Amino acid sequence: MFQALKNFYHKLGSYPWFYKISGKVIPFVGVLSISLIVISSVWGLFFSPTDAVQGDVYRIIYFHVPAVSVSQVIYYSMSIAAAVFLIWRMKMAGVYIKSLAPIGAAFTFIGLLSGAIWGQPTWGTWWVWDARLTSTLVLFLFYLAIIGMQSTFASRKSADTAVSIITLVGVVNLPIVKKSVDWWNTLHQPASISISGESSISSEMLIPLLLSILGVYVFVFFVGLLFMRAEISTREQNKEWFKKLSSNS
Amino acid sequence: MIDFTKILKKEFLIYSRKSSSFISPVVFFLISISLYPIGISNDPDILKNLAPGLIWITILLSTLISFQNIFSEDYEDGSIELLLASGQNLSLIVLTKIFVNWIFSCLPIIILSVFSVFLLYLPTEGLKPLIISLLIGTPTICLFGALAGALSLGKNSITGPALMLPLSLPVLILGTQAINYSLNDISFSSNILLLTAILVFLLPIILFASVGALKLHFN
Repeated sequence: MFQALKNFYHKLGSYPWFYKISGKVIPFVGVLSISLIVISSVWGLFFSPTDAVQGDVYRIIYFHVPAVSVSQVIYYSMSIAAAVFLIWRMKMAGVYIKSLAPIGAAFTFIGLLSGAIWGQPTWGTWWVWDARLTSTLVLFLFYLAIIGMQSTFASRKSADTAVSIITLVGVVNLPIVKKSVDWWNTLHQPASISISGESSISSEMLIPLLLSILGVYVFVFFVGLLFMRAEISTREQNKEWFKKLSSNS
Repeated sequence: MIDFTKILKKEFLIYSRKSSSFISPVVFFLISISLYPIGISNDPDILKNLAPGLIWITILLSTLISFQNIFSEDYEDGSIELLLASGQNLSLIVLTKIFVNWIFSCLPIIILSVFSVFLLYLPTEGLKPLIISLLIGTPTICLFGALAGALSLGKNSITGPALMLPLSLPVLILGTQAINYSLNDISFSSNILLLTAILVFLLPIILFASVGALKLHFN
């Protein structure tokens, strides 16, 4: 079991192997993610009950919560990839960070935007300088710094290393940012879903929400694979294996 | 083994002979402090409330002027390349550079911030937390500046500031909060302790990261 896992990890570092395998996986993941998102959106928008306090406005939760949660998970996964890159010099980790950064930035932006649209009718304002909003904004700025850093280095390897360093420093600093803004100001409601304890949300609303979260995670997996394939084909376009592959098809 | 007193002395000489390196942050600070009353309001009550944040933000922005100085000259004249090639432990050298940069770019501003009592009507009981929080908070900002400077060496891009300012957010929050606490008769010692903890925690991490970033420029 462990040996198989180790084998898989080592194979993951190879561009041709990843390119081949991801090409087979992509159609399934794509169909799965799109159908999950469609099902959860239709369920959440039309069939789940209306909220007693907020009315129909709350339905934006089916876009807001998945986007925000995935934006954080992407960052943490990028920081793991950054550590892998710095320790084992695995080229694929660099590809991963470069491809996932724009996706993470996009989802952070969607989260901020949907939060603003939700905040207008419920809090009466588009934006408050609340702890969670501020730390999400800082996360967005980190993503932008990572994306901006990609272009400042001429060599691919240097850029990957620089971006890995920033990502790791960011992940060390993010909890500090989160804590300090918590002491500073809090208006946002606490998390409604808890894995260990009782969730403070009714199950009729919870199931489509969980489905939509799952859908967005699978969607990120799908788009991530697409972006990584595109990145690999840019980096390896002059390599033998890639030319052979493109001449066959 | 490199003699660190020599490096310290060399850095001191470089900074003290290049007057712009320590005059420009000071001038920037004085100009901005005098612009606030004109731009916002000359009402002492309004300025009194804004003073802690205004001073901290001004210091944060004025470090943007100086952070590129930490490595850029050594990079251009090739001494960083020589140090890297010598195989010495660079993190101590980087620490020396950051320390001297702090003395020349932040310390004068911290001393000058005493004048904010007159210019921004900061109540005198806010002076002590202001000075203490600046003394402990600005080294952390200089650390971030060193990392940003090391990453954006030789490039005049927005990425340095874009990296440095979000990182500095906790320091800004805790620093201004310390002053506000003391103005409202709340103990501010916890904020000072947290600022110290952040500095101690981040110091080794940022030093290693900066050395790694410096190495990137020489393959």
